[in-house]
Amino acid sequence: MRLLEFQAKRMLAEQEIPIPNSVLIRDVSELQKIAYPVVLKAQVPAGGRSRAGAIQHVSSIAEAKATANTLLSMEVKGYAVKAVLAEEICCIEKEYYLACLSDKELNRSMIIASAAGGIDIEMTTRKSSKKLVKRHVDPLVGLQEYDIRALAKALAIADVKGFATIIKGIWRIFRHQDATLVEVNPLAQTPSGLIALDAKIVLDDKAAFRHAALYERFNAEQKAIEKKILNASEVLARDRGITYVPLDGNIGIIADGAGTGMLTLDMVYDMGQFPSNFCEMGGTAAKEVAKQAMEVVLANQRVKVLLISLIGGMTRMDQIAKGIAAYVQDHNMPVPIVARMCGTKAEVGIPILEKLGVQVFEDLEEAVKTAVRIGKS
Amino acid sequence: MAILINENTRVLVQGITGNVGAFQSEIMKVYGTNIVAGVTPGKGGLDLEGIPIYDLVEEAVHKHDVDAAISFVPARFAKDAAMEVLACAIPFLVLTTEGIPDNDVLDLLHFAELQNAIVLGPDTPGLISPGRSKLGVHPHTMFMRGPVGVVSKSGSLSYEVGRMLTLAGIGQSTVVGIGGGPIWGLSQQAALQLFEDDPETEVVVLLGEVGGKLEHDAARFITHQMNKPVVALIVGRTAPRGSQMGHAGAIIEGDGGTAESKINALKAAGAYIAKSAREIPEIIGRMGV
Repeated sequence: MRLLEFQAKRMLAEQEIPIPNSVLIRDVSELQKIAYPVVLKAQVPAGGRSRAGAIQHVSSIAEAKATANTLLSMEVKGYAVKAVLAEEICCIEKEYYLACLSDKELNRSMIIASAAGGIDIEMTTRKSSKKLVKRHVDPLVGLQEYDIRALAKALAIADVKGFATIIKGIWRIFRHQDATLVEVNPLAQTPSGLIALDAKIVLDDKAAFRHAALYERFNAEQKAIEKKILNASEVLARDRGITYVPLDGNIGIIADGAGTGMLTLDMVYDMGQFPSNFCEMGGTAAKEVAKQAMEVVLANQRVKVLLISLIGGMTRMDQIAKGIAAYVQDHNMPVPIVARMCGTKAEVGIPILEKLGVQVFEDLEEAVKTAVRIGKS
Repeated sequence: MAILINENTRVLVQGITGNVGAFQSEIMKVYGTNIVAGVTPGKGGLDLEGIPIYDLVEEAVHKHDVDAAISFVPARFAKDAAMEVLACAIPFLVLTTEGIPDNDVLDLLHFAELQNAIVLGPDTPGLISPGRSKLGVHPHTMFMRGPVGVVSKSGSLSYEVGRMLTLAGIGQSTVVGIGGGPIWGLSQQAALQLFEDDPETEVVVLLGEVGGKLEHDAARFITHQMNKPVVALIVGRTAPRGSQMGHAGAIIEGDGGTAESKINALKAAGAYIAKSAREIPEIIGRMGV
């Protein structure tokens, strides 16, 4: 779960990391309560807000009202803006970059930092990795004071005590609240000390069971504020937790594995046709998931033919076939269905599909060719 | 020979009484996998198709010699179960479980390193040395014994390619799925090393996908340390640049995650590039294998 900025900052504040004073605004009438000038920041879970015009400085309440109105009617990276964070403007002497995440090459947690923070961090690090300081943390040892001293020295930060509070805080969020990314960018040096001006936190949903109360609160807030502009299929997919990527064509794709799903996608394109989506059910999908995946993909009216690419390992083909049958029972067959089915329990699954009138193939290429032919016609 | 497992490998199954664990254990046993024990806390003393079940791994290893373990334990208990296997000095663990928290995976992989154990996965279909043994969920009728080693990020793609090879009459030494999650143990590069050292493997098939940069490490390894020919297929060439590649990844990885960059790196390393699964047996056939 990617947190909104105000949620991420609240997590930082709970760890005693300094953040600017701010008020969350959902209506311009709430702008009375604050002292100007301020910066108005649209609360959407997307990067590049500054360049998209979703962050604006204002110096009076009149200006704030006009700007907030504009922001609240904006769409930023596919999200309708439903809330704005009005935040005090800090006097920045220097900007740093700080993040905690896992190094997937070494399978270790690490803190990365740079003395060159700010909006161009990606460009900076792409051009030269020299400015980026990495420090791995042994999970069985944990973050130690000497790690913090070493990082402070590398960044030439004099306020080691203030810096220690910040590093320890982001480490605790990463480690004990199961974040996959805690990023403070920029971390600003101001006359009154170090302060986190922007924050990005992504929580590891796989660990949600350890943080039920936290998730309950974030979910409720995001339900009220986060409005992604979605089509019918995306809404269903999100509600059901199915991987769904919308595309432009008319061949619906459902697969039981990411690898063969992508292979199927490549094959459709290579044959000169265009998929309407990519949809993957996951390796342990059963009857109900198959039915739901079909509902998701076929909610898109442009789908002319449905191509189901199945190769059962952990996934049982008898279960998937029953799911497809359950869909057809409820909705009939709105478009022709072509399936590739083989693997675990396919000998049970194939007859079920054939009885429904699904065109079933054991060979993937034959199935893709058939779907492409129908899509073209 | 084959890599990692063969007909002599003595196997312990964790989570043997669960739905998936029981179903897959029976299939493995029928296939010929030498399963010597199962473990499910609270079910000690029972048996599954003649396989004795224990409450604790330490009880099982006290009674049986165990070379490898496979875990079907649900995500929230998976770290504890893996730690138990590693603490009992079992040198090879196949972790099929999907959805284990990242911090738990980091911890158990670290402990594995200290114990000199190999962890395959998590979120892996496991591996199969056709005709000898399988630890995992590979649909075994799609595979046959022979000289081609296969290492794949994706499980389903390894089935697809195994099936194509088998239909073309080309057998496999071992087919390994390294796991679909964001963090995993045995790397593609490590699997290539094992195949390079295996006298029975003559050709290696490398199956990758967009995202991450492990194929770049594999390409470096192929350039400098491999003599055996490698055939590579990278899927997701036509996938849109997605949000999966988050901000943090982009900082560290730059543009390395695209299919194009991976294909170029592997091509430069001298690997044969297949455009689809069907081309793989054709390319290997031309080598005269």
